[in-house]
Amino acid sequence: MRHITSTDPWHVRLREALFGWVLDSRGLGRDAWVLFALTGWALAMPHYGSDFAVSLTLTCLMYVALATSWTLFCGSTRYLSLATSAFFGIGAYTGALLIDQFTWASVIGLGAAVAALVAVVMGSAVLHLRGTYFAVLTFGMTELIRHAVTYWEKQVTGTVGRVLTETPERDTVYLTVLGLAVLAVAVSMIVRRTRFGLALAGIGADEQRAMTLGVNTRLVKIAGFALTAAFAGAVGAAMSVRWTYIDPATVFNPFIGFQTVLIALIGGIATLWGPLIAAIVFSVLAETLRLQAPQAYLMALGLLLILCVLYLPGGLASLRWASFIAWRDDVRGWWREREAKAKRAARREREARYGVGS
Amino acid sequence: MNGHPLLEARHVTVRFDGLVAVDAVSAAFAAGELVGIIGPNGAGKTTFFNALSGVQPPTSGELYAMGQRLTGSKPHKYAGLGIARTFQTPRVFGALSVAANVDFGLQFAGRHRAGAWLLKDEDSILHVVGLAGQRDLPAAAITPSQQRQLEIGMALATRPKLLLLDEVAAGLTEAEVDSMAQLIRRLRDELDLTVIWIEHAVTTLLKYVERVIVLHQGRKIADGLPAEVVRNAEVIEAYLGDEMVEMA
Repeated sequence: MRHITSTDPWHVRLREALFGWVLDSRGLGRDAWVLFALTGWALAMPHYGSDFAVSLTLTCLMYVALATSWTLFCGSTRYLSLATSAFFGIGAYTGALLIDQFTWASVIGLGAAVAALVAVVMGSAVLHLRGTYFAVLTFGMTELIRHAVTYWEKQVTGTVGRVLTETPERDTVYLTVLGLAVLAVAVSMIVRRTRFGLALAGIGADEQRAMTLGVNTRLVKIAGFALTAAFAGAVGAAMSVRWTYIDPATVFNPFIGFQTVLIALIGGIATLWGPLIAAIVFSVLAETLRLQAPQAYLMALGLLLILCVLYLPGGLASLRWASFIAWRDDVRGWWREREAKAKRAARREREARYGVGS
Repeated sequence: MNGHPLLEARHVTVRFDGLVAVDAVSAAFAAGELVGIIGPNGAGKTTFFNALSGVQPPTSGELYAMGQRLTGSKPHKYAGLGIARTFQTPRVFGALSVAANVDFGLQFAGRHRAGAWLLKDEDSILHVVGLAGQRDLPAAAITPSQQRQLEIGMALATRPKLLLLDEVAAGLTEAEVDSMAQLIRRLRDELDLTVIWIEHAVTTLLKYVERVIVLHQGRKIADGLPAEVVRNAEVIEAYLGDEMVEMA
């Protein structure tokens, strides 16, 4: 790290002022181009795609946003949060309550803000825990919030769910979710190159060591958790209008949280593009198999997870041509060993039958 | 400095369930001192270090740095005030390169402190600790004794005022221990650091430090010049044995 002083030429100082916070710009250009191309394709999609294709892409974009933002915090710090459905549901409810009084953009923003606020409170309470305890507690809090909303609907407002009368057009929802997905990838791309991202990675590697080197880990964790929650809340607010009728069981469905984690794990939690790749694979599987063969869809998902954990611990994004070659060599080695073993066994049998050396 | 010691522990006690690991230890460290801490296994040396760096909050007692009360603060607060430490078992970021490990400290605790020329950037720090050749290797791939050197580099990257070294010379040969001690002296002299150094190899340590604190079963039983401490009857009985007296 080089310090910039006032004696440096103006363009060096300007670059430092603009991009000084980017610690490592290697690969940033390439990632930006890939994102740009994908965005262009997704923008063109509603103009030529069928309704089915657009709905599939929307599901896909929703999971890109959810899984990418989940990975941003949970992947780098190794804090496995199952609270995505809580933030999604909070965003959806906020959206449903406010859509009549506010503009579309502020509904999305408020969904994000309320979810982030809840994440700050929740994070302050549970982020000092690690591993299983953290995962179980985030799940427990999700259930708590879901039941609290159900109770509030029954006892206070006397309703079960909300009917959304004024919903924006399909293309508005599509563009909003697309915008959120692109923003999630872009933020993720940038954060991993900043001090904030470095602090998150340090927390994931050895939290106490990071502390002794000066990282205020508590603050960083709460900020990261709130950032993830803001994305889930915004996506929830945008997606709620697709259902026209929402109730706690739909929007706080724990499956949304599980699916987000599964996608991130299958794609590779330490990678930028992994969650996006897995979200595409997953949405295609979901939309094509769910209606015809719901069991087959869940089985395929389970099988994919098992295979990834066993043979591809870095996730789909870590898949290279070399992985295939290594697998081939593994299988070949296993087969050779098997043959050699069979040969040895045959020889032993021969020797036992006819005596040694004959 | 306004007359305050750089770091001061007042009756620091650390208790784990029934076990008293550190028992009402008081000690003050002035700027520029090179102090050794010795004691038999299980004497509470590392636990005392953990208390001094905020990693283990004391059960009772107080900690002050430059007159500011630090009891109960998180380790990043200590690091921010210029108290850096190494870990006995190296805790480097294995997936990052050696240079990135050093850069981590520069990005956080060391960020807003002007670095002395020796600690200008990661390359100069790697040069100081003798790891310039391993710059781009993953930290997990270098030898354990190199990881100890890297631990010192990471601590220096926070641009500290006080350096806590926990058995940095463990497992080194005689010659390597000597060069390590030279390095520590040099850092103290050139950077105006205060160094507190735990070492199991007592003879080596006593040769280089100016003051030594002896811990035994969590209590401080001696604190003074090395030559005085080795003649202390309690210290001899607890730890050193007759050979040390002969040496001194």
